[in-house]
Amino acid sequence: MASPNRNARSAVVWGRLLGVAFVVCFGTGVYSHLLQDPLPWMRFPTRPVQLYQFTQGLHITAGIAIIPLLLAKLNVVMPALAQVPPVRGVLHLLERLSIAVLVSASIVQVGTGLLNTYQWYPWPFPFRQVHYALSYLIIGSLILHIASKLPVIVRYWRARDAYDAEGRFVADPTVGSELLPDGREARPAVGERSAAAQTAGSYPRGLTGRLLRWVDGPAAPAARAEREARPGGQVRDLGTANVSAEPRLGNGADAAEAGRASRPEQDDALSGPRQRIARRGFVAGVTAATVGVVALTAGQSNRLLEPLNLFGARQRHVGPQSLPVNRTARAAGVLATATAADWTLTVVGKDVTRTFSRAELVALGTATADLPISCVEGWSQVASWRGVRMGDLLASVQADPASALRITSLEQSGGYRVTEMGAEYAADPTTLVALEVNGETLDLDHGFPARVIAPGRPGVLQTKWIGKIEVIR
Amino acid sequence: MRTARIVLVVLGVLVMAFGAYVLVTTVRPQRIWGLATWLLAAVVLHDAVLSPFVVGAGLLLRRTGRTLGAGVLVVVQTAVVLGCVLALVVLPEIAAKHHGQKNPTVLPFDYTTRLLVVEGVLLAVVVVALVIGVARARRSPRTLVASTTNG
Repeated sequence: MASPNRNARSAVVWGRLLGVAFVVCFGTGVYSHLLQDPLPWMRFPTRPVQLYQFTQGLHITAGIAIIPLLLAKLNVVMPALAQVPPVRGVLHLLERLSIAVLVSASIVQVGTGLLNTYQWYPWPFPFRQVHYALSYLIIGSLILHIASKLPVIVRYWRARDAYDAEGRFVADPTVGSELLPDGREARPAVGERSAAAQTAGSYPRGLTGRLLRWVDGPAAPAARAEREARPGGQVRDLGTANVSAEPRLGNGADAAEAGRASRPEQDDALSGPRQRIARRGFVAGVTAATVGVVALTAGQSNRLLEPLNLFGARQRHVGPQSLPVNRTARAAGVLATATAADWTLTVVGKDVTRTFSRAELVALGTATADLPISCVEGWSQVASWRGVRMGDLLASVQADPASALRITSLEQSGGYRVTEMGAEYAADPTTLVALEVNGETLDLDHGFPARVIAPGRPGVLQTKWIGKIEVIR
Repeated sequence: MRTARIVLVVLGVLVMAFGAYVLVTTVRPQRIWGLATWLLAAVVLHDAVLSPFVVGAGLLLRRTGRTLGAGVLVVVQTAVVLGCVLALVVLPEIAAKHHGQKNPTVLPFDYTTRLLVVEGVLLAVVVVALVIGVARARRSPRTLVASTTNG
């Protein structure tokens, strides 16, 4: 499993990127969670109005970018998975357990998160609660992982400390890395075994070694070709010369011994440019995968990438009134109640309660706002809404426009049938009880007869088919 | 460094404990067992399926690398990695669409055709790169330096 990409420096490099992506997902995820389940004292910014569109788009995009980065990181650290002995003591056992939590929780988190954007839930647990709990398990075990690897991270943080002038990886056995060339990893007793491994060259013993030798072919011709390819004859060719000569001598233990002893040298001599190409190839592959998978999906929440949206779970402008829909009127069970001729909106103040028919609301509804619908699943689109300012409705029942509200939908069931709105949103002049979108009467699937639209909130809180608005604080 | 590590360990344990607390207070025990199976399955999937696959693909590329130029190999490897990751993201999407959309604006595209087209383009890139690589290798029979991938 030895490879120029599987060393401590690569682990640091990919770990850094992955760590940043995890922190971005965690921060934006906790923000989205708190918007939906705020602590009593919390207030949120209503400007810029596209704030949630940005944070949640970033959440989903970073989450998708994690897929190739996580695969790269797991690939880089693969030798540590099969380290011998598997456990070196209580601390090491705990460390490996925390890594097991980190790896398995990350895979489940990213996998179920991706399927959630496809609205497919083939697992035996509730998505939202588990996604939230796992995020803390991941960040916690990530912090533990950083704590245990801190000396390695510090040692290999900078490229110039990790590679020599030739581009060869500098193995430093003192920092306890499990990702060093054979025989130099952190091991309890640096005894005969590792010494033997070093002199026997870079191939492990047994089947694996034989397989790798087959894969790389005979060493000598490769070395000879390398020398011939560089007729300039650099110093390092001296090292390879006696190796390529070895098979031709081919008689007796001396030559074999010389060959074996010099094999690591030959590897080292070749390995500067060779390691560099291998590393760059790996970086190119993972970068292409990350950029590719992001570019081909992020168009669901980013206007610039919209033309490239080949694989996004949503497409902007697809849907009734050229706006996507998450929950239809049929799914919400409001086909009859939302279209009933006697529908009214009840607004309950502290002392005054009023009901409004749709015609009355339309007569009042002269305010407009351009606000995005931004779904927790990542897609988003700005639309032009027209309706009654929430503050004006509250004033009509003699309530302070800056009141906290409870909003009830006609939906028969669902986690967001009843939602609450903080005073900062109720008082915002762009928060509307919307009656029209993009110049047309709201489609039934967009919340006819009336829906809430407010700046910087998740789509699930932009309640559709509203029936009642109550002042609660 | 010692202080920093101790602080990080304490912080990490606290954050994990909070996660565990959130889990047991919001998810019923029976569902937590369901989650545990999935977590275990994730490790098994990685260790028993994904890793051997990647090692195998790496070996194959390394074997190919004996006769081909580094540039060609990097192109091939990049195309293969991109193709695999795209498949990993889009195949579940196809399955989800097959399972049923909640409404026509969810998963609006024909993802099967799109994936086949993109993978076809990547395959064409690989084939062209290999043909060029083999042709070059024949013209100047110089064995190549690099295994650009993971063995």
